[in-house]
Amino acid sequence: MSDIRYKLHPVSAFINFMKSLKELIIPFIVIFGVNIFRDGGISAMFSQGWIGLLPLLIGLVVILFSLVIGIIKWKRFVYWFEDGELRIEYGLFVKKKRYIPFERIQSLNYTEGIFHRPFNLVKVRVETAGSGKVGEAEAELTAINREDADRIEKEMENAKHRVVPSMGPHEAVEESVEETNVPKKELKTLYRMSMKELLILATTSGGIGVVISAVAVFLSQFSDLIPYETIYEEVMLFLRFGYLIVALAIFAGLLIAWIISVILTLLANYQFTIQVDDDHIYITRGLLEKKKISVPFKRIQGIKVSRNPLRELFGYAVVTVESAGGSMGGKDEKIRLFPLVKTARMLPILTELFPDMEFQPALTKAPKRSVHFYYRLDFLWMLPVIGLLSYFFFPYGLLSLLIVPPVILIGIWQHRTTGYALTGRQLTMEFRGFSKHTFFVWKKRVQAVNVLQTYFQRKRDLASIQATIKSGMLGYSARINYMEKDDATRILDWYHPSPISAKQKGQPE
Amino acid sequence: MNGESDMNDQPKNRISRKGLTVWRLYGIIETAVLALLAGGAAALTYFFEWPVWLYAVYGGVILLFAFLLIYLFPKIRWQRWRYEVREQEIELQHGLFIVTRTLVPMVRVQHVDTEQGPILRRYDLAEISISTAATTHTIPALITAEADELRGMISALARVAEDDV
Repeated sequence: MSDIRYKLHPVSAFINFMKSLKELIIPFIVIFGVNIFRDGGISAMFSQGWIGLLPLLIGLVVILFSLVIGIIKWKRFVYWFEDGELRIEYGLFVKKKRYIPFERIQSLNYTEGIFHRPFNLVKVRVETAGSGKVGEAEAELTAINREDADRIEKEMENAKHRVVPSMGPHEAVEESVEETNVPKKELKTLYRMSMKELLILATTSGGIGVVISAVAVFLSQFSDLIPYETIYEEVMLFLRFGYLIVALAIFAGLLIAWIISVILTLLANYQFTIQVDDDHIYITRGLLEKKKISVPFKRIQGIKVSRNPLRELFGYAVVTVESAGGSMGGKDEKIRLFPLVKTARMLPILTELFPDMEFQPALTKAPKRSVHFYYRLDFLWMLPVIGLLSYFFFPYGLLSLLIVPPVILIGIWQHRTTGYALTGRQLTMEFRGFSKHTFFVWKKRVQAVNVLQTYFQRKRDLASIQATIKSGMLGYSARINYMEKDDATRILDWYHPSPISAKQKGQPE
Repeated sequence: MNGESDMNDQPKNRISRKGLTVWRLYGIIETAVLALLAGGAAALTYFFEWPVWLYAVYGGVILLFAFLLIYLFPKIRWQRWRYEVREQEIELQHGLFIVTRTLVPMVRVQHVDTEQGPILRRYDLAEISISTAATTHTIPALITAEADELRGMISALARVAEDDV
């Protein structure tokens, strides 16, 4: 069995083709867009004979070319199992081989796109424990059968449970596998997102900003091509209709952007499910494109619960887990464990997932006297801005004074939120930018602790504390500002690895 | 309570006194660049006959920055910089306006590098970088031999350090 070389499903060729088409869209739009704004528009292209059609011809050739490349890529791609390794051979012009030992594979992530669905296929991403080295093995199988995917998983489990890494007689191995596999495969479903939660998520998500900025970026790309002067005249005309219409147009634009973002969020998070087995969390989601991500418990570095003010008001939260990631992609490292969930529903599940974690510890808050530190630095930029505005736009410029109370209020709010707790081997930090974040981390996952003090903080015996964990290829730092200096000492003490301090201090709390 | 982590106790070791000289040298270079810019501005002032008092401003700015960059800032930074390598952990303290204390457990250390630019080499100095999975911490100016010894020591300690969690 180990000598069989498997191919990807032929649909791969088509998917490769679609992928390169996607990358070609922008240049194509540019080529044809330019022609549209030329005299006579598209029709002029055809009346100019073959020279006018040249862009079109080039386009066709490029499309054909990428189709052929897609097919060759599929033809060339083979994978097989040998010596406890997943071996892949691929490459368009240069033949490349990649051997990935099964023990090194951390997780297999599945995606089912719209092209996969009709044929019951999946895209498999093989993730390894990236130790931060560039070029660490990682592979993507564009489209394979479910059964083939299961076979990879099985081979992987085999390799991991075999004491001797070398290949034994085949039948024997197969049998022992069957036994060890059965209890392992037991998946437990912990959470399935309800329709209500999904709708709330979609309607309150910040995705709207993304869509708006995407539109803005899109427009800025073509700013050279847009005939601003004509538009300007039209805008002036438009303005005569009055502000109401302008406002309505803006509102309609925002509404459409919002609806798009709602639909995108709905599609992406449809049937969001959390499942667990002994050493992985599996997250499945998506309607058109179904994704399954697996996160090994071993790789989880910390847990962050975030609540923006609106969601906080209604008791909803977003939970992300920071994972020490392998892939260079950088997207999957912050894994959303709950895209949106009621706090009451989330707590028991979190406790089940991480039994050694305390999710509602009593927090030590920032001291009263530090409150003005939270807004007084803001005056450094506020005073000059207000001064200049008031001076140059005299009566109305004074209105800029109105930003002072909100800034101070936000500062006070941040002060009230800030706190931390040390419970055994766990550090909890709570802080607020505008959204409230609660960050849970194990001592063994903290890479370094910083204590920061300015001159003014030192005078008042205050200090800021920052803990850094590994997240993806880089680090993530959680910081609580302007705490008691004694709190900083306490956290440093907790973090000291020397066994002497552990003995002397015993169990904190 | 073990005294080690008390905020009032600073880490024991200072960086080399020559580091201060190097920083002053950097300060002189920065001031020279600034002086060039100010010279350009003065030339413009001359040709376009801008008000004469601008010359005084340029001079004042250069003097102020010379004082800060060559004298004051290096001095404070040098006095602030402390480090201590213990069996189980590394502790650092540095910062001009914001004093940062950093604690890195030996278990977390992944590798240690020493590095030496042309200016540092001239003064027989080297900087040492300690990397964890997520962070990198640099001690900026140590005598080369000392830096090499420290690098060896940290990597030896990091190898034997055991996770207490």
